[in-house]
Amino acid sequence: MKTKKRSIAPYLLVAPATIIIVCVVFIPVIQAILMSFQSYDLRRPNAIKFIGLGNYIEAFTDTQFLNAVLRTVIWVVLGVGFQFILGFVLALLLNRQFRGRGAIRAVSMIPWVTPGVLIGLMWRWIYDGNFGVLNDILLKLHIIDSAIPFLSQKSTAFPGVIVTIIWQGIPFFALMILAALQGVSRDLYEAAEIDGATKAQELFYITIPSIKNTIYVTGLLRIIWVANSVDVIFNMTEGGPAYSTQTLSVYIYNKANALNLGYASAMAICLALMLLVVVIPYLRMNFKEEKS
Amino acid sequence: MKKHPVTRKAASILAASTMAAGLLAGCGGAASGTTTAGGATTKGASTAAATTKAAAGAATTKAASGSAEPVTIKFQYWADNTDYSQLMQDIIKKFNETNGKNITVVGEEQPWDGGAYSENLFNAKMGGSDVDVSTWKLTSTPLYVNNDLLLDLTPYIDKWDKKGDIEDNIYNVMKQAGGDNSKIYVMPWNIQVLYVYYRPSIFEKAGIDHTPTTYQEFLDDIKKCTMDTDGDGKTDVYGFGMRGAKGGQEPWGSFIYGEGGSFDDLTSAGSVQGMQDFIDLYKNGYVPPTATSDGFNEIIANFKSGLTAMTIHHTGSSKDMEATFGDDVSAFAFPAGKGQWTSMGDTETVIFKSCKHPEAAFEWVSYLATGEGQKMWCEGTGNVPVSKTVSQGDFFQNNRFMKASLEGESYAGILPILDTTTEWISTTWPNTVAQALTGEISTEDCMKTLQEGLYGK
Repeated sequence: MKTKKRSIAPYLLVAPATIIIVCVVFIPVIQAILMSFQSYDLRRPNAIKFIGLGNYIEAFTDTQFLNAVLRTVIWVVLGVGFQFILGFVLALLLNRQFRGRGAIRAVSMIPWVTPGVLIGLMWRWIYDGNFGVLNDILLKLHIIDSAIPFLSQKSTAFPGVIVTIIWQGIPFFALMILAALQGVSRDLYEAAEIDGATKAQELFYITIPSIKNTIYVTGLLRIIWVANSVDVIFNMTEGGPAYSTQTLSVYIYNKANALNLGYASAMAICLALMLLVVVIPYLRMNFKEEKS
Repeated sequence: MKKHPVTRKAASILAASTMAAGLLAGCGGAASGTTTAGGATTKGASTAAATTKAAAGAATTKAASGSAEPVTIKFQYWADNTDYSQLMQDIIKKFNETNGKNITVVGEEQPWDGGAYSENLFNAKMGGSDVDVSTWKLTSTPLYVNNDLLLDLTPYIDKWDKKGDIEDNIYNVMKQAGGDNSKIYVMPWNIQVLYVYYRPSIFEKAGIDHTPTTYQEFLDDIKKCTMDTDGDGKTDVYGFGMRGAKGGQEPWGSFIYGEGGSFDDLTSAGSVQGMQDFIDLYKNGYVPPTATSDGFNEIIANFKSGLTAMTIHHTGSSKDMEATFGDDVSAFAFPAGKGQWTSMGDTETVIFKSCKHPEAAFEWVSYLATGEGQKMWCEGTGNVPVSKTVSQGDFFQNNRFMKASLEGESYAGILPILDTTTEWISTTWPNTVAQALTGEISTEDCMKTLQEGLYGK
């Protein structure tokens, strides 16, 4: 009898969380999957019907969708890539002993704790072509002759929003890597120094392998978050000008906002599948190394 | 303890899938009315509701002394700024104190949010929100009518003693919006007619001695007002503040009609020529280079900073303009070319079918349409009244901006109200026009895309 009670207890403990996850994640996901096979447009409620793969076929023949997919790949690769590199550098710096380190650590977290909507609005005015502080600085330093309308031209709008998302995400990488760095044993570095290892060798043979799992998890989280991110782009450019900053998540948002939920759901499933294509090999690689 | 690598692996993949599927949850949830937008609606409402309830509460006590059963009407509205917010709360308070029918209106303010108000309200109503009355834009009507959410106001208006105080053509526009010419779902409240703001001092500097009387003259004046005032070889003042972001379709429409085009056929020769004029202004540097992304805030900031000599808006910004420039700002109605059109911004009210006290709700919306509420709101905001009686007041007869509005009233119109209009305004128009302005697509292709976006392929 005692054994039986023990076996039920863990299930009872996880039950509340499981019920919540089923209600707020799995049921809507199933609903979205079902909707993606219907012409579910609330503007035409009388015309809602099952259309099979219609929405998916439409997506793969829609230039805007294909361009948005490509843009999402660039957005994630450059966004997360630079967040990682700069976050790693920042973490290495913050891991050193220097005066005022605590204050600098706190200040460097500001971009991460600022809401995405505010970040979007703030950077929109920083980039403004008429009154923006960035143009003002560049003009005063005589780097440019006339103000650049950063968010108004296709060539600069997308790089502009990528810089913003990089700025936002650096502290998260820095924070996670810093925590991991503090767990790396000093003995390893002392032994390496005795063996005559250079700083670069210490970095590549001690530091990075020791914090590898943290990098995996943090990178994974950021890939998912950045790919799904809407707030920064929407508040800076709304996906324009001329669709030049419309990533897949922004396109999905626009279509869902226009109440074409069937098409938006189909695109959302495509995005989720794209993410799984990245996430599954990533996790498998992680497990394989952990096992060995 | 024995490890279970397969179980752990499966659990991890499941967890990752859950994270990736998070965005799907957002989409799926929308239909059930439990979206973030819907949630925000309820949450955001509480603060404003609390504020207004204080006033309403006092009124309830007083109204309870009347003979009729006490009735509460939940009214949702947006306000463009804090002054308008206070004004609406004052109107509600006054109505609650004076209606004499035991009706208490409880106001809940929601942000306009670039038009997302309508979609948020729709999500809320589909999710069972108890809002009885809301402020309104005609473009949202088909969506709500198709989903059977609005009350047909025709029988209430037909027996209303002040029906004649509003022009028949305004009722006709309301009928068209509902898609059924025998039913009125939308109660007129106030209109805004777009006109051209200009700076007399810049006109003088450019050697222009009178406001343009034709569309062609207007284009010429834009060119003349584009100036390098300090001789450094760069433009300091642009002739026109073009709105290329969301909302820009309204001033843009005047250019289309100016060349003889129309919204009925955006691919006609006149419509294409109007678009070409718009592109030429951008390409030749007569408007700020930021025009492709300039929205309301930007065109107003550009005009107020002296960067642009003219821009198009309505009386909603006239107080602010006067406060900035005093007498050095004036207005003229958009001049006639081969055709003439200006956008009639509209704001109405609706009663939802779910309202349990439609008679009381109609008392409130009619107070806003022709009563003291109409006078207070239009005088406070500078919007054009729909009530003939109120528009005869000195406030409206002796104001240069109101004069420009009233001049434009005869040819003011609205975009075709179709179920595609909202998406066309928020996504199709700004992006397609930006493509044309930047030379990515031809003028003809731009107009073809806009035509198809509105009317379908």
